[in-house]
Amino acid sequence: MAKEFIDDLTGKPLPFVPADSAPRLSGSSWAILLLASICAVLWLVPFWYLGLSVFKTTQEYTFSGPLGLPSGVAPLWGNIVEAWTAAGLGSAFVNSAIYGVVGAGFAVFFGAMGAYALTRLRFVGRRFWFMLIFLGTIFPFQMFLIPLFFGYSRLGIINTQAGMILLYVAIAIPFPTLVLKNHMAQMSLELDEAARMDGAAEFRVFWSIILPNCTGSLVALFLLQFTWIWNDLLFSMVLGNRPEIRSVMNALQVFQGNYSSTGPNVALTASLLASLPPVLAFVFLRRHFMEGLKV
Amino acid sequence: MTLEPATLPEDDSAIIARLGRATLARSERVLRRRQFRIALVFMAPAVILTSVVLLAPILFNIWLSFTRWKKFAGLDEFAGFANYTNLLTNPSFSEASTNTVIWVTASLVLPVGFGLLFALSLRGLPFENAFKNIIFLPRVIAPTSIGVIWFYVYAPKGVLNAGLERVTGSPVDIGWLYQDNTIMAAIVVTYLWQNVGLVMVLLLLGLAAIPTDPIEAARMDGATPRQVFWHIVLPLLLPTLLVVSMLSIIAGFGAFDLLWVMGLGYPGRRTLSLSVYMYFEGFSKGSWAYAAGVAVVLGAITLVVTWLQAWLQVRADGLKG
Repeated sequence: MAKEFIDDLTGKPLPFVPADSAPRLSGSSWAILLLASICAVLWLVPFWYLGLSVFKTTQEYTFSGPLGLPSGVAPLWGNIVEAWTAAGLGSAFVNSAIYGVVGAGFAVFFGAMGAYALTRLRFVGRRFWFMLIFLGTIFPFQMFLIPLFFGYSRLGIINTQAGMILLYVAIAIPFPTLVLKNHMAQMSLELDEAARMDGAAEFRVFWSIILPNCTGSLVALFLLQFTWIWNDLLFSMVLGNRPEIRSVMNALQVFQGNYSSTGPNVALTASLLASLPPVLAFVFLRRHFMEGLKV
Repeated sequence: MTLEPATLPEDDSAIIARLGRATLARSERVLRRRQFRIALVFMAPAVILTSVVLLAPILFNIWLSFTRWKKFAGLDEFAGFANYTNLLTNPSFSEASTNTVIWVTASLVLPVGFGLLFALSLRGLPFENAFKNIIFLPRVIAPTSIGVIWFYVYAPKGVLNAGLERVTGSPVDIGWLYQDNTIMAAIVVTYLWQNVGLVMVLLLLGLAAIPTDPIEAARMDGATPRQVFWHIVLPLLLPTLLVVSMLSIIAGFGAFDLLWVMGLGYPGRRTLSLSVYMYFEGFSKGSWAYAAGVAVVLGAITLVVTWLQAWLQVRADGLKG
């Protein structure tokens, strides 16, 4: 995914100087090539280490040294099973999938509705309403933690899936609103005026005329927000710490805290598994994602 | 949706002329009021959710920071600025602040510096795209996972020590994440490893947007590549550098995942940064009001940085124009 991502973003030649006279910071290009190769190798070492470790049993890990080659690929399955059960990754995967899909889905949809009102309808004070939606994201997350913790406790939604989803939907709304506002502002107003002349209800104009014209942005925003929710650790630690409703990142963090009970090989397998879903989602939805970025 | 007589068919403009301007203004007002009601319905989910879950907590947090609320103690007692004066005199807070300043500076200067270096020097190399992709690759992994992986890279029997053993030929068992003088540098290196790829990509996008004309003109006049870089490319790249730096600073102040996960075995984990310190004071010690004060300090810093960025942006745009 990373390869194509970079190719699409930066594959275009930089216009500012031809490659042969690009500003070099030191000596000949051979020296740079050597340094770049060293950097590339250093950058790959942690991946190499991760790749080796998931194929080792704990015993093997201890005796082979961190960069010793594994004797076979068989232990991978055992590591996965142990990460899935001992680390509680199995139920955490279900939880995170729910938080990510429901949270990002509603957030993007509500953001699109807000953006529709802010760009396709005429009324006084649109700037005010936009700022009202966007203001919360300017502050660091630390400012939400204590009030949310006590508000949630008072309402009895602390350590519940509903509570987690509520938070993730709300916190993921402002960014899609901003992006879709910019996107919808570029679309011609004639589209919806024609539909309104024909007597279409406002929601129908939104649903069947405006939304289908934003599919690329919607998918891209959904992926970004899904990844953010999937990767979130802080809110999950504060608002969802009961084992049954823990997210993947929280389960991983708790599991690493008990690292003495199992070997690093299991923790490393767990951390690899935990990172896979957003990567896979990007791979599968890549085409939509790049379309969304182009707008 | 405007009613512009000029664009209307003839029949309609005749009708409007007969109805007169007053009626037109009234119907426009009615239309706007109707549109506003529809808009409210459309904005309602976003406005209600962000107000209740984001804005109200911010206000509540600010108010909390002026109370004496602690574990097992009531909320009702107003404390004035007591929490803030406590902050200033508390050695843990100054330690956490110092560490935060070190952390934010390092996590700004190193990724931006190396990102610029990579963006400029990888161009035109053989395997250019392979290099860029490798540098970017860590970015696809979740910060918590990265923390776990690097926790074991830095472990006494981890990758780094094994590498050092091979180089020096003697056994090495440094606990990089357990000692005061190495832990911050170790986490900064991990942060650099993860984020330099993104900074590089953003700077490459900035570089790609630079117009070619002034550069060609300068080269016609005999400017060296070095002069072109310092006098044309860098000034034109300044707006991008500014945005990347400010994003970096804000991310630095809020950073929690890496510090939390990698600080697992470190005795001074509590004061690794203000974000970790705030979590500890609130959720381990139950000094809610005090922790709320720490959060307000973080919020104030973020606001100042955001404001500074807007101000500098205006100035940079002014310079360009």
